[in-house]
Amino acid sequence: MEQFLYYLKVSFTSIKRAPLPYALTILILSLGIGVFFANATLYYQLNSDPLPHKSDKLFFPMTRMMPHQCHDCPPPRILSYVNVQKLSATEIPTAKAAMYSTDGYLRLDSTKAPTPVSVRLTQPDFFRMFDVPMLHGSVWQDAKARQELILAKQMAEKIFGRSNVVGEKVLLDDRYYTVIGVLDDWRMLPRLYDANNHNYVEDTEQVFMPLETGYDYNYLSNTQSHTMDDTDFRQLATQGRTGALHQLQFWVQLDSPQQQQSYRQFMANLVAAEQKAGRHPSMPNNQLIPMRDIIQYFGGGSADIKAFALVTLLFLGVCLLNASHLSLNRYLSNQYEFSLRRALGASRLQLQQQILADVLLMTLCCALCGMGIAWGGIELLNYLWPANRLFGRWDPTLVAALFVLTLSASYLVTLYPSLRASFGGLNQQLKE
Amino acid sequence: MIQLKNLSKIFRTELIETHALRQIDLQVKEGEFVALTGPSGSGKSTLLNVLGTLEQFDDGDYLLDGQSVKGLADSALSKLRNEKIGFIFQGFNLIKDYSLQDNIELPLRYRGLVASERKRRVEQALELVGLAARRDYHPSQLSGGQQQRVAIARAIAGEPRILLADEPTGNLDSLMARQVMELLEQINRQGCTILMVTHDPDQARRASRQVQIVDGQLSDAALYDPLAIKTA
Amino acid sequence: MSLQLLFKALLRRKVVTLLLLLQLALTLALLANSLLLASQTRAKLNEPTGLDLPHILQVQLKPTTNDLRAQPLLTDLLERQLAAVRTLTGVKAVAYANQGPILQGGNQGNLFDPNDPDRTNVPAIPAYHVSPDFFAALGLKLLEGQLPQTPVAVDGRVRSPLVLTRSLAEKLFPNRSAVGLMTNHASVAAVVEDFFGHKMATDQWYNRIQVAPLLGVDWGYALLINTDTGATERIRQQLPDVLREVDANIEIFYVRSLQEQHQRLYRDEFGLATLLAILTGLMLLVAMVSSYSNAHFNALQQQQDIGIKRALGASKNLIFIELLCENWLTTALGVLLGLLCAFALNQQLATVISMPPLQLWLPLCTTIVLICCVTLATWYPARIATQVAPATATKTM
Repeated sequence: MEQFLYYLKVSFTSIKRAPLPYALTILILSLGIGVFFANATLYYQLNSDPLPHKSDKLFFPMTRMMPHQCHDCPPPRILSYVNVQKLSATEIPTAKAAMYSTDGYLRLDSTKAPTPVSVRLTQPDFFRMFDVPMLHGSVWQDAKARQELILAKQMAEKIFGRSNVVGEKVLLDDRYYTVIGVLDDWRMLPRLYDANNHNYVEDTEQVFMPLETGYDYNYLSNTQSHTMDDTDFRQLATQGRTGALHQLQFWVQLDSPQQQQSYRQFMANLVAAEQKAGRHPSMPNNQLIPMRDIIQYFGGGSADIKAFALVTLLFLGVCLLNASHLSLNRYLSNQYEFSLRRALGASRLQLQQQILADVLLMTLCCALCGMGIAWGGIELLNYLWPANRLFGRWDPTLVAALFVLTLSASYLVTLYPSLRASFGGLNQQLKE
Repeated sequence: MIQLKNLSKIFRTELIETHALRQIDLQVKEGEFVALTGPSGSGKSTLLNVLGTLEQFDDGDYLLDGQSVKGLADSALSKLRNEKIGFIFQGFNLIKDYSLQDNIELPLRYRGLVASERKRRVEQALELVGLAARRDYHPSQLSGGQQQRVAIARAIAGEPRILLADEPTGNLDSLMARQVMELLEQINRQGCTILMVTHDPDQARRASRQVQIVDGQLSDAALYDPLAIKTA
Repeated sequence: MSLQLLFKALLRRKVVTLLLLLQLALTLALLANSLLLASQTRAKLNEPTGLDLPHILQVQLKPTTNDLRAQPLLTDLLERQLAAVRTLTGVKAVAYANQGPILQGGNQGNLFDPNDPDRTNVPAIPAYHVSPDFFAALGLKLLEGQLPQTPVAVDGRVRSPLVLTRSLAEKLFPNRSAVGLMTNHASVAAVVEDFFGHKMATDQWYNRIQVAPLLGVDWGYALLINTDTGATERIRQQLPDVLREVDANIEIFYVRSLQEQHQRLYRDEFGLATLLAILTGLMLLVAMVSSYSNAHFNALQQQQDIGIKRALGASKNLIFIELLCENWLTTALGVLLGLLCAFALNQQLATVISMPPLQLWLPLCTTIVLICCVTLATWYPARIATQVAPATATKTM
């Protein structure tokens, strides 16, 4: 310990002797690490798995059951009501939920100003499939139409001033509903249950309504809908339930490989039967994509972040090279001192320990500066790419990763110079 | 060839003023071989530096080949140094990463000679010092004496009017020292004016004239004998 | 100045030279590609849209109550809103539409000639349902036919006639007038000049418009206002209050000029171009620091050699040029490597974003920038090095 403190003292002395090169090395290394880390944070968060224990058990079925012929096209990413009914007509999945989202206006009563809300229209299994925590009350008992809503905690507090509002009435778009449940603090980022159209970067919804109620009241999807025949989209309650109006997402939970295989077979059988009955002309193209692969399947990964990630990696490389260069110059300047120490009996290992103290000091400085730069970088990224603002945040894993990165970088940067300084020919160095 | 008129040089620091050269009057004719002798710290090397325009002087004047060097700009001094003066140092001062050929060629490049002319002169100089076969060697591959011969080759390749040698044999053993002195005498016989700083009385005797410098002042006196001072 | 000797000097310091070369190469690669992306983004932001972007305002809004979103109250609301906006001074024309122009995507449909559906089918065409003043609001020039003056429901027995943009008319009915011809939706009443519809459509110039009441406003609707020069900002400030006065049961999402809308469309590209530009600036700074440090350190190491050269007749200027030449040589080598890196980086970036290929002149131009920066950075250390007194050379080791 005492020896380590001595080494730290030696490092400080060496820095005081030539502070500018040391400061430049710290600056450049911090710059490279900070910039890289800012974008890496976004990249990491956007590509993280919100449900790692079950993202390979939740599946998104897609089929080409539509009224017109399509030779090479992939199956549509949204399903019709009829499609979902048929895909649900089996006990194979452990859970299943159809869903879509819409906009609405929520208020306590007609005297209050309306609050714009995002609404998810779905079925009871949604909540256990996606591990949604319930704070008060419960979910709907079945998938039928009900005049019942489930609110997010923040929305309940906003409208009522408190979170326990189970049994209370609330006005959504001029209709009264009873609140039967309030969710606990919950945010799924990325929001993989809605990966269509890059929507996974959005926040979770504030209001949940039964799917059937949504259809009854003609709520249209606010993200994606596609009418493939002459269904009138204003007649969602009637024509929407029978025609080729595609706006639904459908998720199933298949826990075991056997279940997955069974469901695939079920889908194949269903599509074949439907085609035989003349209800769709296209050749089958069934997809069953697990949640952890859904973004990749949709090709929706943010291209700009990937491009910037490539470039920040290069920048980090340049900064490492630069810092190495400065470090090399610094160590070569101090070569005489190293050689003298060797001449006075210091072993190579002891010199390496001295250099390690130097590295640790550099790591500490770079980590602090790097964090500051990374924080500034994330603010800038949020300003320029506001769609991703929810993802510019740190957790303990990332902060630990930053320290490890800084330590590795500092060590790399001093590795070659320190080896050269401590392994050089003594006599020559002393003479010089 | 060389004329110093009342020349003085003072080294100033924050605390002390050292009069390295005091009102020096010196005349050196073309073709002379002059030995500069004197005790340590007498100003021999300073005088040589001033003669070689490596250092400025504070008072008086210095005429080289009839031209005053006082007030000349750096570029003019450099040109003068390059064309008329050759240097030989005690520490050889070869550039260790250059080959012998590159070392000798260096002053010729500054003069702007074409490649063929440079090559010819380098060959000639190497022949004169007997190291033509080692033109691609590096200084670290040669002995002290050989290195000094290369330094001499570099000095004479430009056909200077005067050659300034500062203790040229100071770092050499007696055999190599003799070889170097023979070489200098040969160059002098070819018409080059030589000024040589030396501690060695034997070497000083080989010169055609001895000039003594003590405490910054000259005396064209008899050979400096350290024993003589002590007994005086 | 001997190139050979300069090369030898570089080879002596292999590791340092290599580090410097790699840095310069990567800096050049990034600089060239950044400039390319920035110029591409700038071109996109300056592309023609067929519209007078700064003087056309768009209000995106939605009624907050159910009954206002349905007929007949919806049409009544729209009429009142249009009337109120028309009273503002400086308003040349105002219209409602189910969606505005210059969007990423939105309400789209397909169109084809019923006589030849397979060959003429064009999918993903923006479909506009508008009030009669829409064409005046966007300042669209009529090319053929007559613009419909009365709204006709799109789902009625008599179909609301279509107005097509020029490129779409040409695509569906090449080499003949589209006016009077039938499509799968309705007959064509007129053809107007092209304007920028949706970025994610079959073609940004293909648009079909019907003068019709709005079918539904679940996704909101747009009011488009054409303003006099100089009155735009004032009208923009007045609009929210004027509209709320007509009926307070509305949510106004935004009031924007079409120019802002256009800039927002390319926000991501602009963001990336900005980030790359900042990063390039940082890289140049880092390269300059490196060059400075390199020159400074070399000058220190070479002090004795510099002294010898001065003693042999090199003038201060010559030593200065020699030191600069060493850096220029390193930069030149870095540039050669950098050209390869620039093309490689361009290809890699093109796999993730839309990136035009790199033309040779661009990295060559950026080379000049790099050389200037490096020269600036090495100026001071090189100048200092020339101050080495020739007398230094006479001092023994």
